[in-house]
Amino acid sequence: MSLGALDRPLVVVVGGGGVGKTTFAAALGLASAREGTDTLVMTFDPSERLKDALGVGAAARGTEVRVACDTPGRLDASLLDPRATFDRLIRRYAPDEASCRRILENRFYRHLGGSLAGILEYMAVERLFEVDAERRYGRVILDTPPTRQALDFLEAPDRMLAFLESGALKVALRRWFDDRGRLRATAHLAGIGRGVEALLDHVVGLDLLRDMAEFFQIWAPLYDGFKGRARTVQALLRAKGTVFVLVTGPGEERIADALFFARRLGEAGMRLGPIVVNRVHPAPDPAAVEGGRADPGAAGLQLFAWLAARDARGLARLRGLLSTGDLLVALPLLARAPTSLEALEAMGSLLLGELAAAGPARPPRRLPRRGKTA
Amino acid sequence: MPGGAANLVGRLRRQQLVVVTGKGGTGKSTVAAALGRLLAARGRRVLLLELDPRENLHHLLAVPPSGGEIVAASPRLRLENVQPLRVVEALVRERLKVQVLVRRVLASPIFQHFVEGGPGFKELAILVHALGQVRREGEGGSDVVVLDAPATGHGVSLLLAPVLVAEAIPHGPVGRLAHEVAALVSDPARCGVVIVTSAEEMPVQESLELIAQLDAALGRTPETVVVNGLYPPAPAGTAAGPGGTPALHLWRERRATYERELARLARAWVGPRVELPLLALDRGPEIVAALERLLGEAA
Repeated sequence: MSLGALDRPLVVVVGGGGVGKTTFAAALGLASAREGTDTLVMTFDPSERLKDALGVGAAARGTEVRVACDTPGRLDASLLDPRATFDRLIRRYAPDEASCRRILENRFYRHLGGSLAGILEYMAVERLFEVDAERRYGRVILDTPPTRQALDFLEAPDRMLAFLESGALKVALRRWFDDRGRLRATAHLAGIGRGVEALLDHVVGLDLLRDMAEFFQIWAPLYDGFKGRARTVQALLRAKGTVFVLVTGPGEERIADALFFARRLGEAGMRLGPIVVNRVHPAPDPAAVEGGRADPGAAGLQLFAWLAARDARGLARLRGLLSTGDLLVALPLLARAPTSLEALEAMGSLLLGELAAAGPARPPRRLPRRGKTA
Repeated sequence: MPGGAANLVGRLRRQQLVVVTGKGGTGKSTVAAALGRLLAARGRRVLLLELDPRENLHHLLAVPPSGGEIVAASPRLRLENVQPLRVVEALVRERLKVQVLVRRVLASPIFQHFVEGGPGFKELAILVHALGQVRREGEGGSDVVVLDAPATGHGVSLLLAPVLVAEAIPHGPVGRLAHEVAALVSDPARCGVVIVTSAEEMPVQESLELIAQLDAALGRTPETVVVNGLYPPAPAGTAAGPGGTPALHLWRERRATYERELARLARAWVGPRVELPLLALDRGPEIVAALERLLGEAA
């Protein structure tokens, strides 16, 4: 069966926490390999059971591992490890062994530097660049961290570019300290200079400034390369061959999340494909709910009836809020989370069936680009 | 200890700060709102702090959105949506005092970058703000701040930020603040941590990891682990009545998953645990009131 609206070289799976995004990505990967395409599923943080199901363990951290499935196309999986990617980049591009070690041991890099300007999120994007450049796969399915972090993740190349091009970096790159570890800017000011130094030390601490300055200086030769790759990934995420799948849940609180995400994707100029509402409670047989009133389980069945009605309501509301061109697909809550290749395949076929039923494959919607406010 | 310190409310009786965290989608905000109402009902002046810029706690308390201001939900319960950047700016103003410097610092791109993506400053500022609210005397003050913290991954960085900053900046006013807040979050007598989870594999996994991190970095345990949204036990006997329906099958399987994950949690975490049932109520003030009642009875 064809992947329909998801038949693109890069499928990015986004959505909130706890909606079954990673399982969905795995099921889609299997369906893609079944259809005959060599596929890679890149994921962040799968559950132990899912890792077992795919047969990938710690070995897949930062590299691709073959999934043992009997499909016409190959299926590989990898676990994204931003820190390992960053370490590897530094090892590869550092001018010499000594400066490599100095970065890796730098206190700012180890403890704090990671969060600066979303560097860690950016590292996951770097990995995507590497995989894309190698062109070993017909399709890459990229699982992303939950909502807020996923936004950080998608915006990482933009933020990285903004940071690299901002004045902040120029200031950070200045040689702040002389060979004796004193602040250069204040050295010629004699007494007053030492006053400034004392003030800075007093507010943030010279040790921190020294660590940061060192980090940026050793890292400097890598900047141009980073800029180029960030631009490539920025373009890749917005390319025609890239489609975003939004996975969400049917609950009331998820609707706002889904709409927010759909809007942000549009604002960022990225293409939104199908919206998948996962884990929808199926309606119990009304006769069973009614007929079982005397039964000890009747209260529970009525709870299920209520959940099914709530989910149906949420689904209808979401459908009403989306534009007519959007593809909305509902997947039922399964009795057991799919934790075997068979169960993942079953989920994949269910998805493709629903996709085919929901509408003909059409080019994914590209929302008009709006201003940055919102 | 006299005065019922054995139950949850008793243990939270003297806390200045209660941090509610957990994996996204587990009902963290609902539990935070219920806890806020409960503590207010027992006589404490409570400030609920919300960090999510897409405000939604006000829906749960049936008050207008905060928009960064403090809104009163009841005489002893107030709500504030905290905007970290504004808090940092206020902090810079308060500490620097010299207007020219303040303007230059706030306008500097370095400052913006460091606060946004930087080494725990934003998180530290939020906690300093919370502490300031508790310390405030008189009318505007609160006895306890209940913090609806970000989902687990970011929630833990919120709790660990003061320690990291204190390590990086050992001296000076920022360092002193960091040390002070680090001491607060490490002290179970003044700060409570409530982890909200559902009895499913990933949320339980994340909760156990969070418990381990709290122990390693702060040398403390959470006040309680709230397991939210439990399906009721499925009826026994498969053959009779509606036993064969798919809904009942789904119910039994789901309940079995929950029991398995509850057992896994109980093996790794022997401290207090609260189990809250899945309720046939929409997200809103009603479910908060129902959970408040259940939390009030919790051990």
